[in-house]
Amino acid sequence: MGSSGEDLRGCIIELLPRLRRFARSLARNAHDADDLVQITAERALARAAQFRPDHSVASWLFGILRNAWIDEGRSSRRRRESLLEPEDLADRIGAVAAGTDPELLCLQDALSRLPEEQRLAVALVLVEGFSYKEAASIMGVPVGTLTSRLARGREALQSMLSDTPGVPS
Amino acid sequence: MTFSDEMLMAYADGELDAAARSAIEAAMASDPQIARRVAQHSALRNRFRSAFDRILDEPVPPRLLMPASGVTGTVRGKVVPLRQPRQWAWPQWTAIAASLIVGVIVGGLAMLRARAPDVVAMTGGQALAAGSLAHALSDQLAGSRSSASSVGIGVSFRSKSGQFCRTFVLRQPAALAGLACRAPQGWQIGVLARTELAGGNSGGYRQAASAMPPAVIAAVGNQTAGEPLDARAEAAARARHWQP
Repeated sequence: MGSSGEDLRGCIIELLPRLRRFARSLARNAHDADDLVQITAERALARAAQFRPDHSVASWLFGILRNAWIDEGRSSRRRRESLLEPEDLADRIGAVAAGTDPELLCLQDALSRLPEEQRLAVALVLVEGFSYKEAASIMGVPVGTLTSRLARGREALQSMLSDTPGVPS
Repeated sequence: MTFSDEMLMAYADGELDAAARSAIEAAMASDPQIARRVAQHSALRNRFRSAFDRILDEPVPPRLLMPASGVTGTVRGKVVPLRQPRQWAWPQWTAIAASLIVGVIVGGLAMLRARAPDVVAMTGGQALAAGSLAHALSDQLAGSRSSASSVGIGVSFRSKSGQFCRTFVLRQPAALAGLACRAPQGWQIGVLARTELAGGNSGGYRQAASAMPPAVIAAVGNQTAGEPLDARAEAAARARHWQP
């Protein structure tokens, strides 16, 4: 791996906090979310040659994470429809136990009830702050599709969250 | 003029051009229903943003920094069920880190004097934690974040010589991360390195980015005698003032 590999490593390290945040909007369990980030970093480095420097590294990495979630998450997600597992601090080296924040738990819970594609749209736009165009390209769909998924996801979230504080109703 | 809900949503997300924006703003001024709907869309966005933003402040677990720092994992490009533990074992890590120098201030003493004069004291050729850093090392539990002290504690472990060691991240007076081990005279700083505080125009990474620079991770790997302390073991160590 040449200097582009080194650059890529730097970019990955810089984006780790954001990739972790994105993963947490897809996987409720923080450990599983970090597994997704780890898979993403490994895959990105293994495919460094495929990366085109004129492209946004962020979009590329978020796309890899999204695919990893879709590929590997389905079966374990089904198993995990149960309650959140208790915090296991020893298992998560140095991580702040943000999973215990009730507001975050509440939002993760609501997100987990959305269909996969709506959840991705919400995660990319509302949580990550990507533009519709960027989010659509990460999801590999036209902007119109992204917009309608986002609108449906939002509507479902608003009705799920309407009896909790934060959203005027 | 009526607007679709998707259009109001796009307005709240800052996706519309100037002409559409002013049309919606005019409608909001005359129709409280439209104003309310836009406010709901914005509120939901803000609510998600602020709850998830806290994740950016968490220290990045070392296992995630390792592949990115050039350490090759055992699994590569292979689909592995998520439930399988994917952490690197500490001994492997130690072997990798063994060739790296420990006990260095990355960037040199000049950097240290310039950037952290109040939290690190040089005593007899050794760097000891002082001020808020010393307090945090003695009192704060791992993973806790004290906005008052601006010090974050990452992970605590026992070194090969039996000392308690802890990683930390300083936000003030400079963005530094390091490793300190408890000696009779105080917290000895084994390694201290700058961390990158990438600017965040998009509400980006803020102080969280690279909370543990590779030099610190290498030092941890080189000095640790085993697994990091869990919350209980850490609280017990604090209770006996980190005496071995």
